[in-house]
Amino acid sequence: MRTGITISTVGHAAALLWGVLTFATTPYKSDTLEAMPIDVISAKDFSQLTAGSKNAPKVEAAKPLVEKTGPAKPPEDPSAKVVDTKEIKAATDAPPPVPEPKPKTPAPTEKKQSEPKRDLIADALKKEDTKKPEPKKEAKAPTPPKKPVQEQPKFDPRKVEALLDKRAPQRLAATGDMINSTLSLGAPSGMAAQLSQSELDALRARLAQLWSPPAGAKTPEELIVAIRMKLNPDGTLAGPPIVLTSGKTQLFMASRDSAMRAVFRGQPFDMLRPEHYEQWKDIEITFDPRDMIRG
Amino acid sequence: MTKRSVTIELPHLSRRRMLLLGSAVAAGSLAGLAPRPASAVLKLDVTQGNIQPISIALPDFTGLGLPDPATSRAVTQIIAANLQRSGLFAPINQAAYIEKISNIDATPRFPDWRQINAQALVTGRLSRLQDGRLGGEFRLWDVFAGQYLDGKQYQTPFDNWRRVAHIISDAIYERLTGDKGYFDTRIVFVDESGPKERRVKRLALMDQDGANIRYLTRGDELVLTPRFSPSTQEITYMSYGQGHPRVVLLNIETGQREIVGNFPGMTFSPRFSPDGQRVIMSLQQAGNSNIFTMDLRSRATTRLTDTSAIDTAPSYAPDGARICFESDRGGKQQIYVMGAQGGAAQRITFGEGTYSTPVWSPRGDYIAFTKQSQGRFAIGIIKPDGSGERILTEGYHNEGPTWAPNGRVLMFFRDPGGSAGPTLYTVDVTGRNEQRTPTPSYASDPAWSPLLT
Repeated sequence: MRTGITISTVGHAAALLWGVLTFATTPYKSDTLEAMPIDVISAKDFSQLTAGSKNAPKVEAAKPLVEKTGPAKPPEDPSAKVVDTKEIKAATDAPPPVPEPKPKTPAPTEKKQSEPKRDLIADALKKEDTKKPEPKKEAKAPTPPKKPVQEQPKFDPRKVEALLDKRAPQRLAATGDMINSTLSLGAPSGMAAQLSQSELDALRARLAQLWSPPAGAKTPEELIVAIRMKLNPDGTLAGPPIVLTSGKTQLFMASRDSAMRAVFRGQPFDMLRPEHYEQWKDIEITFDPRDMIRG
Repeated sequence: MTKRSVTIELPHLSRRRMLLLGSAVAAGSLAGLAPRPASAVLKLDVTQGNIQPISIALPDFTGLGLPDPATSRAVTQIIAANLQRSGLFAPINQAAYIEKISNIDATPRFPDWRQINAQALVTGRLSRLQDGRLGGEFRLWDVFAGQYLDGKQYQTPFDNWRRVAHIISDAIYERLTGDKGYFDTRIVFVDESGPKERRVKRLALMDQDGANIRYLTRGDELVLTPRFSPSTQEITYMSYGQGHPRVVLLNIETGQREIVGNFPGMTFSPRFSPDGQRVIMSLQQAGNSNIFTMDLRSRATTRLTDTSAIDTAPSYAPDGARICFESDRGGKQQIYVMGAQGGAAQRITFGEGTYSTPVWSPRGDYIAFTKQSQGRFAIGIIKPDGSGERILTEGYHNEGPTWAPNGRVLMFFRDPGGSAGPTLYTVDVTGRNEQRTPTPSYASDPAWSPLLT
């Protein structure tokens, strides 16, 4: 027992001493971070920001930033590559009788004609170059500026990829982190699988536009009206809305009628997307004018 | 009987297997508890609205056996004018109507009315009853909901056809706004005519829309500040006949007048109490003015204030428990609130300028006043506890507010100065919809009667 205690004490003391000595300190150096200004916004503000506007001027889709633009190269033709190698082989064996006229790539073929040797290097260079402008072309491909060299009749797998890409053509190269705050015709809005905040805001805005509650009331609490409405898939009312709050005063009846009138006049509620019908087929709306009535 | 116990042989599982099985079961049950998108009701809050006048369609009332068929059209026009003047309704031009109403008992064709964007529809009928009286009835419909909202029938002597129009206007106003109407009321005011140096001032009485005007005094004595009694057909006013001013009680129907009390001094700005039993006024003695009440039956007078300042223009709260008045005991004229039996007075106005002519709203929620500051006159309202002061209109020279019986509209008079005389104006308690009230000549000192029904 005694030996045990001593051994334990010695061991603990040794450990403590070691700890004190080794954890003496260079203070932890943190890298100086650049301060980033951030803004906290509510989901409602976000959807207002990205809602876009039907009447806004069309903004030129921002092109992705590149440091230096190389000379515009005609889009590469993979079939041309295959043919080229054959051509080169033929060149080394015997001069080709007549180069097949390639409608899309007259320049390289002409070059190959004259200097088959340099072609290999030129080809290799070309292959490397095409890799660089590829991401550029990816973004450019769906925007339809008329280039002097058109690729239409030739099958290009990259174009198919662009067709299959469902993202909006005007999306910026650095998406996701930037919020496009300028109103622009066709600015993409966030489309979630769930009923989006912007649809709810549009519904709320329409009801607010049509709702005219009795003003100047003494006791605003009795003006609160809750209405439950069931909608058809086309946005019209499936049946008469049900009023959930009750009251007997004239003031309550007037505010109930004004809320019902807003609901009736708001038909059809076409801002709600049919694919989210399951979520908005049954809506309970609370009309609360207390914020509007101030002393 | 032998007990037979049933034993179930569990397959022999190793401990590890049991552990795995147990954790799998637990995970499975937890997955079952995982939140699913609930197929619940979507909840939405609408807290902002868009206050607009209610668009209302008023096709001409149908007439049945009327001596003058134009009467039913006139009734419709009175109702439309009343509703439009209130600023809360927007009557739609009859030229736009699609359906022609011939039978008010039939349900209207709502799609026709929805097409012209009418939110409410009023149909009505005037008929001459067998005993020669007038029968008036109306129906009020909610067009977009396709529902019947309200309808009433009235019987009255034939000459009262204008009042039927006002009563129907009140019923429509009340059903659609929730507030009681104010159309079946009268205004008493001081009619001023003649050149500015020698104005002839007569007491005049008219319907609130300017019709049926009649003069109550002849104009040979100076009359001021007429006020209605809340319960009877009496008016109290100040008259400067025979040298010094005195408070006079006038019965509208009989024309009888009576001097209120025999005071050894000048009495000013009389008003009735809400129960109509007392008159409150200010009495001037030896350079200062104090507030007195007088019981109309016993003629007993009670002094309410006893200061060396000028206390005047008292007004009762609608419950009769408190009064507000104007006093310069603090230096400039300000508004004070005090118990109706007297006692300590509490100042409620503290803004720039002088405050005078306080009038307590019949709803009890505001006191209206005239405020004078830097040469400009304004009509404003303030809550009885002194908060929420709001100016409704400003100009030179606005004065003398009086409340409509529903506490939503104020009437006052404006004197532009110069050779022109004063005219009457109304404004909504929210400060909007300022309108001129037409009178045959210049008019001042208006007072609004309670509802006649």
